[in-house]
Amino acid sequence: MTAESARQPSEDPFIFRVENLSKRYGSTLALRDVSLGIRRGMIHGLLGENGAGKSTLVGLISGQRVPSSGTIYLDGRPIENVDVKEMEKAGVFLVTQEPMIIDHVTAAENLMLGIWPSKGGFVNWRKLRADASRMLAGTGIDPQAMAGGLDAVARRKLNILRAMFSGGKVIILDEPTAALTVEDRAQLFTFMRELKAQGVTFIFISHYNDEILEICDACSVLRDGALAGGTEDVGSLTSEQLSELVLGRGLVLFQRERHAFAAEEPAVRLRDVASGKIGVKAFDLRPGEIVGFTGLPGAGAKELARAIFGLAPTQSGTIAFGTETQRPLPATPRDAFDMGIAFLSDDRHRDGLVAQMTIGENISLSSLSVVARAGFLRPEAEKLLSDRYFRAMGIKAAGPAAVVNTLSGGNQQKVCLGRVLATKPRLLILDEPTRGIDIGVKQDVLRIIDELARTGVSVIIVSTDTDEIVRAVDRVCVFEDGAIREEFSGEAISSERLRQGAKERADG
Amino acid sequence: MSQTTTAVAKPTTAAAPRQGGKSTLGWVLHNVVWIWLIALVVIFGLFNEFFFTTFNLQNIMVQATVLGMIGLAVALPLLVAEIDLSLPANLGFSSAIGAMAYSDLGLPWLLAMLVGIAVATLIGFFNGLCITKLKMVSLIQTLSMMIILQGALLALTQGRTITNLPDAYVWIGQAAIGGGWPIMPVVFIITLVAMAVLLRNTVLGRSIYAVGGNPVASNSAGIRVDRIKIITFTIAGFLAGVAGFLLASWQMAITSNQGSSYLLYAIAAPIIGGVSVFGGRGNIIGVLGGVLLLTVIQVGLAIISVPSFYVGMIGGFMIFIAVAIDAIRVRYFG
Repeated sequence: MTAESARQPSEDPFIFRVENLSKRYGSTLALRDVSLGIRRGMIHGLLGENGAGKSTLVGLISGQRVPSSGTIYLDGRPIENVDVKEMEKAGVFLVTQEPMIIDHVTAAENLMLGIWPSKGGFVNWRKLRADASRMLAGTGIDPQAMAGGLDAVARRKLNILRAMFSGGKVIILDEPTAALTVEDRAQLFTFMRELKAQGVTFIFISHYNDEILEICDACSVLRDGALAGGTEDVGSLTSEQLSELVLGRGLVLFQRERHAFAAEEPAVRLRDVASGKIGVKAFDLRPGEIVGFTGLPGAGAKELARAIFGLAPTQSGTIAFGTETQRPLPATPRDAFDMGIAFLSDDRHRDGLVAQMTIGENISLSSLSVVARAGFLRPEAEKLLSDRYFRAMGIKAAGPAAVVNTLSGGNQQKVCLGRVLATKPRLLILDEPTRGIDIGVKQDVLRIIDELARTGVSVIIVSTDTDEIVRAVDRVCVFEDGAIREEFSGEAISSERLRQGAKERADG
Repeated sequence: MSQTTTAVAKPTTAAAPRQGGKSTLGWVLHNVVWIWLIALVVIFGLFNEFFFTTFNLQNIMVQATVLGMIGLAVALPLLVAEIDLSLPANLGFSSAIGAMAYSDLGLPWLLAMLVGIAVATLIGFFNGLCITKLKMVSLIQTLSMMIILQGALLALTQGRTITNLPDAYVWIGQAAIGGGWPIMPVVFIITLVAMAVLLRNTVLGRSIYAVGGNPVASNSAGIRVDRIKIITFTIAGFLAGVAGFLLASWQMAITSNQGSSYLLYAIAAPIIGGVSVFGGRGNIIGVLGGVLLLTVIQVGLAIISVPSFYVGMIGGFMIFIAVAIDAIRVRYFG
């Protein structure tokens, strides 16, 4: 890289620069006059709430979308006719949240996808393996391993390497830490620092202040489609200042007033629950209690939550509400809803929204029998229901009739939450309810859950987000090997205690 | 990595002028089926003014009825992101069963006809079971079912054409009121309305769109996905059975390959009308547009006396244009 810079000197200190970039969709201006510069060999953070224009900006600079006005400069030269091919040719690569990896071929082949070294139309396998081994040396990824068997962090590394190998000089990472554990994240950051030392420039998009502060050299903050601020030296910023830039106001973090529930009669009793490798003898929830399920991935927290809702492949065990007698766990989600159990999935794209339906139709989807008579939908009843939850969730959109996939991630999550609340559950199970949504909406979601619990609904929150657990729950259950390993409640819940426990378990 | 540094984009012409008149173009593309339909009617009319006669209009209505019924049937599995290729074969097979229940078993014609439709419905139900409970791939499962039913029809008829249909059985296909207006299209219109109501105003209809749009999310939202799919295939089978009865009644005959010629047109009609093969998108008005478009092409080409050797090719080309325009619409306007 350094040799190259010498060969092709450039007066522009910015490897990548945009000037007065705007993007209009119909009557809405999604991005307004954004100008920013990315310095060579830096990790430049891009921060902003959902709907602030991050995705739009990323779409424009990666060539997926055409700007309405403004210019993109690379190495001081304007790029016209912006499209993905052109940007990639110029060395700008986007690595998205969803890694583009083919599971049933090896890591080496994934690395060379579309750029196979070839001789006369035949793939030169020897060269492919040699090149791949060289690229993967020191990353801990076995070139011959099937990509399907790689863990999340290895997959992300693979994508970054692929972008580099294809000639990437500026690599845009769109929320690369989503769904990564703390250890994986540290590993990814180390990897990024190594690549940075080799001269790669990163644009790093994240929701999290601490990530920006930890890894970035400079950062820019978007708010309401415009540049709200930025700094060339992240070290001079505090997390609070960053939050204020993002939100434009001081952010009040949600904190639940914890209750002591031990004396009350349980509202939900689970007995002898077994599914796959999980086994829980007895678990009770009091009315209005919020319990956090946490643990390493695969430890059983998520699996138990899905089993209670009838989403596990096999499940046995019983459940009882209040003084009712024990009944078998629901076999399907429909049965679960009928029993008063509602579930919010952690993956709202795959397992939440019907993208081509309206917001209102998505909200009423689990309550159709309530708004219908003899199988016919009653439009007024449905509208009433959709409107109520549209407003209660504080969804930012033109109205319930808007198509759901035009919404930002946080608002989509509110639609999903509205749907499950509309079923009026007695037991609400939330799987990573605030993953991938920005800090402002996160407080909204936690507040809504808190208010629901005040009405007597028992709530289970499955979360690997320590901060969320500490702020939102009354009691924590830590899972290990499919069972509840320890429980603590009230003032005993602290991020130190949770981290300590996680570390001990990871160490053995 | 070194060669890429030099590859900084060269200035070329700007890529902006896609904005102007976007909404007008969007509207045109959204209604392309209907515009294309009107254009073809005008073109065919200019070639031969017989095209504008009442008689020809009546002819088009009759022709559109059977294609319309089978097109609606095909649209249903498409809406849940599946496909049923066996429907046209089901149409032929079930009508032969109905006819033979009359002629060989001596059942009254009405009962015999209902037996035929019941068989068609059961076949649809069976397809639904295979696809949901056995997790068979609908494309292949219904393809094999299509071959089975075509073969069964040939075996039943022993290659002969069934023509001894009673007068009452063929009444619906032959009857007309004042001025030669046929009765048969009334069945199609009633079915159109019923299907539109089903899809727009019922829990089942909403569930069909949800399942087609995102089956995993639908399951988590408490929709019984398998059940919805089975019901969808069953209704499709029923509609194929009714279409089979209508076709036999209209032609007053059941050939040994009855219905097979409808396969491609029956699939093309809903897709031209905007029903997505990926599920969750499409409506009944669109299907009607697709059906009318295909019928007008068929009838029109016959009327302007295109030599029969060219009819297939030209017809196919017109369908191609309609689908291509639709693809462009989806690409740029969603």
